[in-house]
Amino acid sequence: MFAAKKLVLAHFWVAFAGFLLAILLGEWQMYVRSPLHAWVNNPEHYYRSVTAHGTVMAYVMPTLVAMGFGYAITELSLKRPLIGVRWAWAGFWLVVAGTVIAAATVAAGRASVLYTFYPPMIASPFYYIGVVLVVVGSWIWVALMSINLHAWRKANPGATVPLAMFGNVTGAYLWAWTSVGAAVEVLLLILPAALGLKSTIDAGLSRVFFSWTLHAIVYFWLMPAYIAFYSIVPRAIGGRLYSDTMARVAFVLFLVFSMPIGMHHLFADPQVGAGFKFVHAAMTAMVSVPTLLTIFTITASVEIAGRLRGGTGVLGWVKALPWDNPVMLAVTFSFVMLGFGGAGGIINMSYQLNETVHNTQWVTGHFHLIFGGAIVIMYMVIAYELWPQLTGCAPLRGGAVKVQLWLWFIGMLVLTMPWHLVGLLGMPRRMAYYDYSNPVLQPQAWTVTMSTVGGLVLVVSTVLFVYILARARRVDPAPAPFTFSLAAHAGERTPAALNTFGLWVAMMIGLTIVNYGYPIAQLAMLKETSVPVIQIGGP
Amino acid sequence: MENGDRIAWGNPWVRWSIVWLFVLTVGAFLVGFVLLPSVHRDYTAGGIWLAICRAAGLPSNWAPPPRRESEKGATSVVLLPAMTTRGSSDAIGRGATLALQQCSMCHGAQGLSEANAPNLAGQYPEVIIKQLQDYKRGDRGGSFMLQISRNLSDRDIEDVAAYYDSLPKARTAPARYDEATAPALVRVGDPLRNIAPCIACHGGTDHKLGAPWLEGMPKEYLVVQLRDFQTGTRRNDSHAQMRNMTREMTAAETEQVADFYARRPKEGDGK
Repeated sequence: MFAAKKLVLAHFWVAFAGFLLAILLGEWQMYVRSPLHAWVNNPEHYYRSVTAHGTVMAYVMPTLVAMGFGYAITELSLKRPLIGVRWAWAGFWLVVAGTVIAAATVAAGRASVLYTFYPPMIASPFYYIGVVLVVVGSWIWVALMSINLHAWRKANPGATVPLAMFGNVTGAYLWAWTSVGAAVEVLLLILPAALGLKSTIDAGLSRVFFSWTLHAIVYFWLMPAYIAFYSIVPRAIGGRLYSDTMARVAFVLFLVFSMPIGMHHLFADPQVGAGFKFVHAAMTAMVSVPTLLTIFTITASVEIAGRLRGGTGVLGWVKALPWDNPVMLAVTFSFVMLGFGGAGGIINMSYQLNETVHNTQWVTGHFHLIFGGAIVIMYMVIAYELWPQLTGCAPLRGGAVKVQLWLWFIGMLVLTMPWHLVGLLGMPRRMAYYDYSNPVLQPQAWTVTMSTVGGLVLVVSTVLFVYILARARRVDPAPAPFTFSLAAHAGERTPAALNTFGLWVAMMIGLTIVNYGYPIAQLAMLKETSVPVIQIGGP
Repeated sequence: MENGDRIAWGNPWVRWSIVWLFVLTVGAFLVGFVLLPSVHRDYTAGGIWLAICRAAGLPSNWAPPPRRESEKGATSVVLLPAMTTRGSSDAIGRGATLALQQCSMCHGAQGLSEANAPNLAGQYPEVIIKQLQDYKRGDRGGSFMLQISRNLSDRDIEDVAAYYDSLPKARTAPARYDEATAPALVRVGDPLRNIAPCIACHGGTDHKLGAPWLEGMPKEYLVVQLRDFQTGTRRNDSHAQMRNMTREMTAAETEQVADFYARRPKEGDGK
């Protein structure tokens, strides 16, 4: 790498430091509401903790990982120094400053509104300003990704953009458009109320704007993991990428379909019409297509590795896979969790089935399994794979790495499976305590203890993860240069549509206008839809 | 240059992507706006166009019709954060004069009642404004208060509220609502019976707009109010909040909660 080593390291370290603190908060939340602890006396402390946990895990950590990984991909795949390193540092410091401001406000008890904001609850304006700074910092990254790609195109006319960079810029464009919804909500609706300029807020319209961001942000989190599936996993386990074209199709499908589907978070909201809810549910089903394509392509790529290692027969290649390779373990764990989480997600997005699980622990189980599990385990792989490039250490493939990945997998299943179960039984989410003395709830008490144990395993895994990264030392000779996966049919011509973004960005924006235009215009024009704000944490 | 190398209609990638997206979108809209509503009789009763409008979320009548005159006893006061601001010294002075003339007989010279009327000293201004407005509009019953409030202007009400807000409270909250001092219903409520903890609104963990300060209130007053909410005799709580809280409470719990809030500091508590 050329110019961005320190930059990428800084992003990753802040991301993982926040990750470590936030996971401790998460475990504390599980502990105080489990039968192992008396009811927490002040539920506000619980919601303060949930807000901090969510803000760091949803906004700060994945944004920094995506940014850091994006800078690394730019240099490693385009094989030239990053343009705009100073701007990148400015973006980084904006994210850090925003995080500190938001975290301090939450810690002071002035912003226990949860990271999803939930108007008419209104927190101290500093919380929203902090979140806005994080997003603005990430917009600098979006611009730099675009600028670097264009500069590279100019220098290499007609060449095919490397797959990792193509995915990276897809993620950047996705995030740019995705974050507009929450930005509009915060700037036009929430901040005027938080600053005391208005005493009412249109909660329904706010929630519609947030849904614009709320679901697509998930695919922004997911993009680094998918880039790793396609461009790191096949190489790391000694195989070939089955299809470069399929990978690009999956990326652009995310761009088109991840945006205009957020209203499946509003199935229980009265302000949105049933017709739009159905259309969003149908489009949500479409997002499973790129994920299914990915599972097929990566499994095929893994099969190539198994057969190259001498595996034969229908399943013989599975036995021949390099099971002592941490990347092999991680991608397996990730797919198992993606399978359960994805199946659960299809239940959530179904207009009718959602009624049975809406706002229950099932939902918490779903997004922890699919984000905390399937995606974050790939963030860990990304860190392990990049670390030798960033610090000059030897490849991180030892026993400790494997133990760490195993613990993450087991911990995540033990945490989330009980949540799924009790969610079906109707246990509500976001509760500071449950009344276990009640005979109706008593039989479910063990599940909360179980999840607490799962959380503890995740804490141990995280500590080990940070320890492994911190212990890495420079070695001689310097590690081999980083490489991305090679496609099975290298040198195949890439269709122009899959080498550029114009068509897909246009489709993304067009579909958003079709799916969101009318509901937003209608709610914005309706009179008397605002409600008094509820200040959280005192005036 | 071949067609496949340009982003134009002639490029099959472009053409088919757009065609398929169009077909998918139109199909989804047809199912969501026409097919699914057609199986619900209430959707289609007014014809296809009305069904599509309903599926789009267009309200036929968004705001509820104005409250019927006969529905007495539900509050019509809108609580606004502006009501919580501390009054000017002028307002407090005028309020003090009014209070001395009209309130002190029952509510005590310093807002601390000796007659089982509620203490008003240190009460939040928006609470006094809301209750006086409710009395004045006939939404809260009480023979004395109906008569007295009738003659108070909006300005009078705000001034009285400012005056009582300026007085020291009967008792400040204990530093902690812990297991030793506060009943479970006060601290954590009873989720399975849908009873929220008292301290989630009345101060302790949070104070919600319009919820009165209760510490040091006369016990008899609290018991009567809780029972009136429970039986529906008193109905001026917005969104039936207190009626819902008290519906499932037993007589013993009512006593226990009232006891806790009425408790005066013992000698030597040092507060």
